[in-house]
Amino acid sequence: MRQFVQPIANVTRVGAAFALLLLATRIVHAEEPVLFETSVQAIFRAKCSPCHSDRTAKASLNLSTPAGILKGSESGEILDAETPADSLLLQMIADGLMPPEDEPQLTEEEVAAIRQWVTGGARFAKSSATDQPQVTQHDVLPILYLRCTVCHGLRRREAELDLRTKASMLAGGKSGPAIVPGDPASSLLLKRIHAGDMPPRRELVAVSIKVISDSEIETLTKWIAAGAPEVPAAPDVPAEGPDRLVSDEDRDFWAFKPPQRHAAPTVRQADQVVNFIDAFLLAKLEAEGLTLAPAADRATLIRRATLDLTGLLPEPEEVQQFVADPDPHAYENLIERLLASPHYGERWGRHWLDVAGYSESEGVQHSDKPRPQVYRYRDYVIRAFNDDKPYDRFLLEQIAGDELADYESAEAITDELYDNLVATGFLRLGVDGTFANITNFVPDRLDMIADEIDLLCSTIMGLTMKCARCHSHKFDPIPQRDYYRLAAVFKGALDEHDWLSPERKSGAPGTSDRYLPYVTTAERTTWQANEQRIDAAVQAARQQLSEKQQSAAQKLVEQRLAALPDVLRDDLRAILATPDVQRTDVQKYLAEKFEKQLRIDAEELKKLDPEFQKAAADAEAEIKKLESERQPEPLIRALWDRGEPSPSYLLRRGDYLNPGPLITPGVPAALTRGDYQFNAQPPWPGAKKTGRRLAFARWLTQPDHPLTARVMVNRIWRHHFGQGIVQSLGNFGRTGSPPSHPELLDRLAVEFAASGWSIKQMHRTMMLSAAYRQQSSATPDRIQRDPNNLLLSHMPLRRMDAEALRDTLLQVARRLDRTMNGPPVGVNARADGLITAAEGEQGFRRSIYVLQRRRQVPTILENFDLPQMNPNCIERGESVVAPQALHLLNNGLVYELAGHFAARVRQEAGDDRQRQIERAYLITSSRPPTAEELAVAQTAITDLTAAWEQNAAKTDKPKPPEESALASFCHALINSAAYSYID
Amino acid sequence: MNHQPITRRSFFDSVGHGIAGAALAQLLSHDLYGEESLAGSGPRPHHTPRATAVIHLFMNGGPSQMDLFDPKPELDRHHGEAHFDKIAGEVENPTAAGALMRCPYKFSRHGECGMDVSDALPHLATCADDIALIRSMYTVNLTHEPALYKIHSGRQVGGRPSMGAWVTYGLGTENRNLPAYVVLDDPLGLPINGTQNWQAGFLPPVYQGTRFRATGSPVLNLKPDYEQPDSVAALKQDLIARLDRIHGAARPGNPNLNARIAGYELAARMQLAAGDALDLTQETAATQEAYGLNNETTESYGRRCLIARRLVERGVRFVQLFIDNQIFDNHTNLETGLKGACQRTDQPIAALLKDLKQRGLMDRTLVVWGGEFGRLPIAQLPADKNPSGAGRDHNKNAMCTWMAGGGIKGGTIHGTTDELGFAAVEDRVSVPDWHATILHLLGLHHEELFINHAGLRERLTSVFEANVVQNILA
Repeated sequence: MRQFVQPIANVTRVGAAFALLLLATRIVHAEEPVLFETSVQAIFRAKCSPCHSDRTAKASLNLSTPAGILKGSESGEILDAETPADSLLLQMIADGLMPPEDEPQLTEEEVAAIRQWVTGGARFAKSSATDQPQVTQHDVLPILYLRCTVCHGLRRREAELDLRTKASMLAGGKSGPAIVPGDPASSLLLKRIHAGDMPPRRELVAVSIKVISDSEIETLTKWIAAGAPEVPAAPDVPAEGPDRLVSDEDRDFWAFKPPQRHAAPTVRQADQVVNFIDAFLLAKLEAEGLTLAPAADRATLIRRATLDLTGLLPEPEEVQQFVADPDPHAYENLIERLLASPHYGERWGRHWLDVAGYSESEGVQHSDKPRPQVYRYRDYVIRAFNDDKPYDRFLLEQIAGDELADYESAEAITDELYDNLVATGFLRLGVDGTFANITNFVPDRLDMIADEIDLLCSTIMGLTMKCARCHSHKFDPIPQRDYYRLAAVFKGALDEHDWLSPERKSGAPGTSDRYLPYVTTAERTTWQANEQRIDAAVQAARQQLSEKQQSAAQKLVEQRLAALPDVLRDDLRAILATPDVQRTDVQKYLAEKFEKQLRIDAEELKKLDPEFQKAAADAEAEIKKLESERQPEPLIRALWDRGEPSPSYLLRRGDYLNPGPLITPGVPAALTRGDYQFNAQPPWPGAKKTGRRLAFARWLTQPDHPLTARVMVNRIWRHHFGQGIVQSLGNFGRTGSPPSHPELLDRLAVEFAASGWSIKQMHRTMMLSAAYRQQSSATPDRIQRDPNNLLLSHMPLRRMDAEALRDTLLQVARRLDRTMNGPPVGVNARADGLITAAEGEQGFRRSIYVLQRRRQVPTILENFDLPQMNPNCIERGESVVAPQALHLLNNGLVYELAGHFAARVRQEAGDDRQRQIERAYLITSSRPPTAEELAVAQTAITDLTAAWEQNAAKTDKPKPPEESALASFCHALINSAAYSYID
Repeated sequence: MNHQPITRRSFFDSVGHGIAGAALAQLLSHDLYGEESLAGSGPRPHHTPRATAVIHLFMNGGPSQMDLFDPKPELDRHHGEAHFDKIAGEVENPTAAGALMRCPYKFSRHGECGMDVSDALPHLATCADDIALIRSMYTVNLTHEPALYKIHSGRQVGGRPSMGAWVTYGLGTENRNLPAYVVLDDPLGLPINGTQNWQAGFLPPVYQGTRFRATGSPVLNLKPDYEQPDSVAALKQDLIARLDRIHGAARPGNPNLNARIAGYELAARMQLAAGDALDLTQETAATQEAYGLNNETTESYGRRCLIARRLVERGVRFVQLFIDNQIFDNHTNLETGLKGACQRTDQPIAALLKDLKQRGLMDRTLVVWGGEFGRLPIAQLPADKNPSGAGRDHNKNAMCTWMAGGGIKGGTIHGTTDELGFAAVEDRVSVPDWHATILHLLGLHHEELFINHAGLRERLTSVFEANVVQNILA
């Protein structure tokens, strides 16, 4: 098995060895050989060729011809020359992986025949040894890119040498041509390698290069020996000829076909139908003998809707007003008010940050390097949601914002140009260790690129594309080729052979080559003005001080002179009035002699003159204050196409040392009709950009794209209704969960695109449905017939997520600072590991504005399932574990907030206990307590008061026991399920 | 799964699809932490286990194999000879690379098995017949972070469940008052990769390791941060429970709400149980002495080793010890640095092995020792290039680890390295092999312990081939 695991750098070499082995065995064995044509060809034709022929070649494998068999599959050789019994072909059969379980199986005799043929040397009647493909430039170029071009290529041209093409190798550098075709011994390239000079060993790590291997040197030698042949490149190009890897049958899967606008079904309880959502749901409910649950009361609705759309609790006045609102459109008006709230963007922006993998540090290494100014992306997302930016535009900007409009030659950077660039930060959010040489080798970069592709595909397309990095997808029709087509799409910006490190190479302190200066002209002007103001003010302060110093010094000098004899005094005055260079020798002598009297420096002056001392201190303080008002240069962490990507090769088994065929950019073939031409053009005349990502993004945002709208409406649905119509939010493939209501999903998707991709319109559609307005309490009948609530026979009870819990605790305690946007709030780490967000003058800011560093997550958020971004989070868990209880019960800050909450209750409700309890419930649960709750609360407060009273006897300055008891009650209330659960 | 009996693992299969909430909570309250398990589906090993608990002594930094367990006479012979060019691609700091460097310590043979152990580990040497030494282990990355991820979670990237999380996922706990997976990190600071070393990744969060601090309050928020009479605390607990019961009664069919009540009860029990487990005053003076609690050098690690024993005694499934500051990462001053690291840990570890044996816990406890990689046979020179301050750079091609206890054939030496100790050559043991072996001893098969996540059947050993190291099994 190890044969297949180890990288095989040169396929043709091994192939040749195999051919030699075939010849050898032919001589040794006198008996009649087992030949392909007579023993196994018929078996392959019957059982394997439906998928592995020259017409259809799953996994790029063609088992119909000797050449195809020798060429192997996307995983490399399928026959093992040294240990035939270990051949991949036999392994796949022995492990039961091939033929696939739903296809006709091989009989025992057939398996035996194949085994006999392989172990007998896998011989063919016609010798194929002569058909061996020669070594071409495509065997050599990947090696040169891997080992040499970082110094001898696009960006650097050490010794004026460029090793990226045969022509440039022939042209050579300072020392002459790099290669002499046909003469490896005279080729400078090989000479330098053999001498051990290149790649230079001591500098390998500095440029993140590994040593060149013997097999790679052998390939180079063979190529040069063969005259450095350049065969016309025959790259894989999408939609040129019939697709051998993805068939129409493969495409025949619901998620790969465009969504249809299904008409709403007719249902018996038509009076329950508010919009089409209800009709689709009712059709299934009625089939199970169920209906939608009755509508929830208004108090429940306002709490549910407010938490859903803003992540905050409704204020008591809002609740009272809504409950008493006589307007028949009161609920519609409520939804509109909430959608217009700026807190809406904070809530729904956070959902997007989860799937985008938003993080303000690089991760990987212990230092967890911070990423300055990434908050611009966070603010962009919040703004996009608040502005209801059309989802297609939102995607275009995030995937290809740099290719939407020319920002380099724009006269002014507008809000739109700025947003375009900030949005591309989306593809820079992954875990990224490439800031350090030692974690910046090609495989590290490929891992980072893989993360971005994985994130994009799972988040936006609902495809588990990452499987296809190493082999064709086992369940979905995603050949490995399609993964590398996508990798090629991103190569203009994410090129493992032309890497922009997050380490600072140039530019402002704390930034890196991944930053662009194109913030809006307004922001840049403001920043510059501020800098200039500070420069000027600092200079003025210095000037003023210097003048003061001069006059104070002069006064002192005068005093000292006054103590000297008249004669001397006049002479010295004359000296002082004469510039150094014009002084006579005598004057110079005197000046030196009386230096102490004449020259008083600032330090001495401070000691002698208290007034100046104060002035100096004041000036220093002022300058310090001014300097502290400086802002870092505004920069955008962006991703942009650099115009000249290196060639893309399929990597067999995902191994960077095992490149396969040349691949050009394209989209997953299963999502097209098979004739989709990927057409990337520079986005504007003279643009130094490939336009590949823009072409991809335009394809992705076509209104009838099979997945884009479906995946997004499903995500919105999940946040409103607790689980997706497709439960596996990031996997719409065959291994994902099938949709519970496929027609409803389609209809929502179609409506979404038709509405101009308006997310707010989707909220309206979903939240105005009767389904959303159902009660959450389930009858035994509903629980029995719809145990997992897949039919949505009632509203699911949900727990507040981490941010909602923390933010509402601050809200009820009146300690929430509602300031939006800008640099994040830092965190404090206690010695025992407790992490808490810093408190400002106005209180604590919302969780979305707290520093999102991978290693320092605020403990309360972590306890309540704030995800780790590795690289992103498709769906959060909702755990119920003891540390949550411990945190809410014992944490000092939560306790303090409970105290603030109690003070607020006292202030708003007065001293009457029942009114206090009612107010506390209104604040936290948006409703009055039930009679039972009220009774329990009253008894508890009585007991608590007694307990505090008893304690008061032992303390010096006790607080009134009633106050302490109310605080304890409030603390218990925020610990109760009624607080953190949403009906 | 609606009307099928829920099996535990089939249930978790669907966690990745997002229905974790309700049923999960029920499992957590009644299964993982509870006395009763779901009918016929409790956590159960795949085959008869040889050990039921693990103590993982993780040696942060990468201890040097040729200076502790793998003597190399050829290094003495070739000491001072240049060797860098032969291994250039395997050196993290090429500009600091020096010549071949001999071991500064003396080796001698110990126990009936005659195991070579250097004089840097005098205490462990007395346990030679109890441990199975693997000399031929290797890993895949020579940088701390990826190598730590690899050894703790099977791949070089973050975000995956750690070994302890997999084990508790597979076996559950035996003590309902304590977490199943406890991490005893160094009070002086977190190791590299921080809490990610014991995370649950895509397993449910309950399988994450819980940090116990060796001094003070062992768990974050275990004790109130504020002053409050006990009577008030009790009244509050009672009030929360009452309110939650009223709330739950009006909302039937939501097991999450019951789990929440259970969570508050567990929190209360944990306050007592964790305190008891960490109360070392219950130990005799002789025991404290044996673990080195009276000695400044050994006190910190000895305390954690002793706590580890008390935890496995109480049914904790997986205990993991970390040391701050990479003390085995001896890039410079190897002779004194490595000796110092050994002095902090050697006596406590030997005491732990003897104590477990004496108490009859050794048969059911697997003790595992090792770092994230090994070190190079060549010197790494300090900035002044003075060989007297030399250390050794990272090496992924060879490292030594050992195991002892349940199911282990003591006194075994497995595998060999080349004559310079640069790379494992015979009976090589990969990290997946090592993981599979540990799981095997616990009665788990590495291919059967899985969770379906994002379209993949994820395992600790991931997609890699893994073979149990049969030779070290009793």
